[in-house]
Amino acid sequence: MAKPPPLPVSADRPLATDTLDATLGPQHDGQAPELTDSVMDRPAVLAALKNRIARLERANGLPDARADVLSLCAQIDMALPSGGLDRAALHEVLAEAPGAAAAFCALVLARAGRTAFWIGPDPDPWPPGMAQFGLDPARLVLVRARKPADALWAAEEALRCPAVGAVLLSARQLDLTAARRLMLAAATGGGIGLLLRPDDDSPGPTAAITRWRIGTLPGSGAARHDLGDPRWRLTLLRARGGRPQAWTATWHAGSETLGVEEETAPQPHRRKATG
Amino acid sequence: MSSRRFCRPPSLGQPGFAPPARPRETAPPTAEISARRILALHLPRLVTEGLGPGPVLAWAPRGPRQVVVALDPLAEALGLRLGQTLADAQAMAPEVRAEMQPATTPRRLAFLALWALRFTPLAAVEAPDGLLLDISGVAHLSGSEAALLTRVIEGLARLGHAAQGAIAGHAAAAAALARAGRPGTILAPGQELAALGPLPLSALRLPEEVVAALGRLGLRCIREVLAQPRAPLARRFGARLTMVLDAAAGLTTPPIRPIRPPPEFLAGQDFLEPVTTREVIDAVMARLLAKLCQRLDQAGRGLRELLLRAHRADGGVQEIVLGTGSATRDAAHLARLFRDRLEKLEPGFGFDRMALLATRTEALAASQNGLAPGAAERREALARLLDRLSQRLPVWRLAPRASHWPERAMRRADPFEAIGPMPPPRPRPVRLLRQPSRLEAVALLPDAPPSMIRLHGVLHRIRRAEGPERLSPEWWRDDPNRRMRDYYRVECEDGTRLWLCRAGLPGEEGTAWLQHGWLA
Repeated sequence: MAKPPPLPVSADRPLATDTLDATLGPQHDGQAPELTDSVMDRPAVLAALKNRIARLERANGLPDARADVLSLCAQIDMALPSGGLDRAALHEVLAEAPGAAAAFCALVLARAGRTAFWIGPDPDPWPPGMAQFGLDPARLVLVRARKPADALWAAEEALRCPAVGAVLLSARQLDLTAARRLMLAAATGGGIGLLLRPDDDSPGPTAAITRWRIGTLPGSGAARHDLGDPRWRLTLLRARGGRPQAWTATWHAGSETLGVEEETAPQPHRRKATG
Repeated sequence: MSSRRFCRPPSLGQPGFAPPARPRETAPPTAEISARRILALHLPRLVTEGLGPGPVLAWAPRGPRQVVVALDPLAEALGLRLGQTLADAQAMAPEVRAEMQPATTPRRLAFLALWALRFTPLAAVEAPDGLLLDISGVAHLSGSEAALLTRVIEGLARLGHAAQGAIAGHAAAAAALARAGRPGTILAPGQELAALGPLPLSALRLPEEVVAALGRLGLRCIREVLAQPRAPLARRFGARLTMVLDAAAGLTTPPIRPIRPPPEFLAGQDFLEPVTTREVIDAVMARLLAKLCQRLDQAGRGLRELLLRAHRADGGVQEIVLGTGSATRDAAHLARLFRDRLEKLEPGFGFDRMALLATRTEALAASQNGLAPGAAERREALARLLDRLSQRLPVWRLAPRASHWPERAMRRADPFEAIGPMPPPRPRPVRLLRQPSRLEAVALLPDAPPSMIRLHGVLHRIRRAEGPERLSPEWWRDDPNRRMRDYYRVECEDGTRLWLCRAGLPGEEGTAWLQHGWLA
């Protein structure tokens, strides 16, 4: 491994952050710096410490300009206060349609990178179908937790782990304290937390920073025998620091992108005619 | 510079080049002096000791007769002897309680072997009434071999078993000494043959008829039989006799089959006062883990499987096995894994010994921790997380399998397993129902996609449908009566997409429509 260049700083000149950033350039490419030598490693150590401080600040709720976010698509990212779905935070997804919600979650898990956990009383994601959203089964770990307490414990443990990119917890109801705990765990570990809930009850208050409702719309098929690409109704019901909004989105399976056709204000929830 | 190769003529008969002649080893093969030390125990009253207060005898059917097979000392004092018929014995001493030979004796012997693991990590059952303890290198913990033998015999006495023990360099000699009524004998290495010579043949575990036949020939002690030529003995009495004789003489060492495989590393602690509370157990665990991990560190090994063995004061043994997904020797991580499992321990009157045994280890190089998490640290963190989760909950990954049948297309794999690449994509649901839901469907034509379905009592009009995709059952692994399926991907009026199938041909008896999954 090539040694990093020596610092162009002498002892009498104070170390400015911008020069430091410039010095860091070539080796600050997502790879973790290695500690090999005491003098040569100062930039690496400083970068690590800066990362750490940034994470701590996020955990304390301080706004962070370089917050690390996950992009869905350009129009939706613009509507979100931090320019995308925040990692290191908890998001709530209300499943109006089970298939569409699972697909949306698969998309988020896939874009979060690293290992993804799917925790629930009876986890039934099916990788052959999720593969089209970019979720590789090698990255997916399933945990069955029949008791809600076990599920919460597993989700919290997984979110605290720095190797985990995303954790999906499928649960009926989650009280505020539990959601707050998950939020803190996500802030510690840096992974994104998803809470997948059915949409059949009145969604109470939440500690999650966004709440989505995922419904379906007739697809883009042209004929009776052609389903075409799936179309979803994505409703951002609440976002901390943002405004509620709704989108009509199409998943373009060919290019693996999410396209937004129409932006509207969120409509009151239409109850499904269940009988 | 050129180098010429040439052959040197063979130097025959030149004394300077010949290697020094070595003296030929002409001594006959003798028993090599073994470095092992084996403690053999013989429990002559094992059967009757499990039958309650005496006088008592145990009988067993031998063909048409009921024969006395075990006696306790009180019954023996009344003049009964082994091999008598039950009727004779009851006529001689009607006050002796007669019980059928219990089937639990082997289990009791196995229990005692587990109990004996507190003295040495390698203990074996020698059916029907003996135990073998490999005490190589552990005798000094009790002071001396004699002290260890006394401890073992006293311990068995507390459990209600009279035992005779002997220590020798190999198992057969020690067992013969214990069985021949020379309890307490401790043979120095190399003395086995001399000590065994005068013992009667019944000390060896030979069939009764062989002992009787040798007796008729005038061969009554081991020395006399050993002096005989081998070939005629083997021809007349079978290979078993020579095998037993060789083992007794120390020429061969038959393997000992331990009741538990010996660990690779061990850290144990004995307590003067039995421990009962969780706090003390936790404290002991911390110490033992630290000790074990230090040893592993010195040896450059990491744990894959760890066993906690707790010996109760009343002789019971409780074990907790812990597996890890990747090699580790981090005491804090292992302590966390143990935390929930320790609740399963039932101390009762307390544990007087606890031991941690590394039953499976792997080479593990030391690594240095950095400030920022790198790829290696992340991998380790993930392995630990999976360890913690799988101690408490079922955790798995899904791995593709070569099958087109939907339920079999993925299999549950270990979370630490590397998952291969997915087969080329096909339109499949994002969620597959483990319990497919039945539905009613209306189709315009018998083999057309449904145009209307009733699912969970709700009527859905189908707007679009793709299909059918016909899947035939895998005859090579399936139930022959399984029906083939036609799968349809349908979209309802509100956009909900379902994966439906018709099991069976249209119009056939028993054909059913099912929802098998949710499409995106």
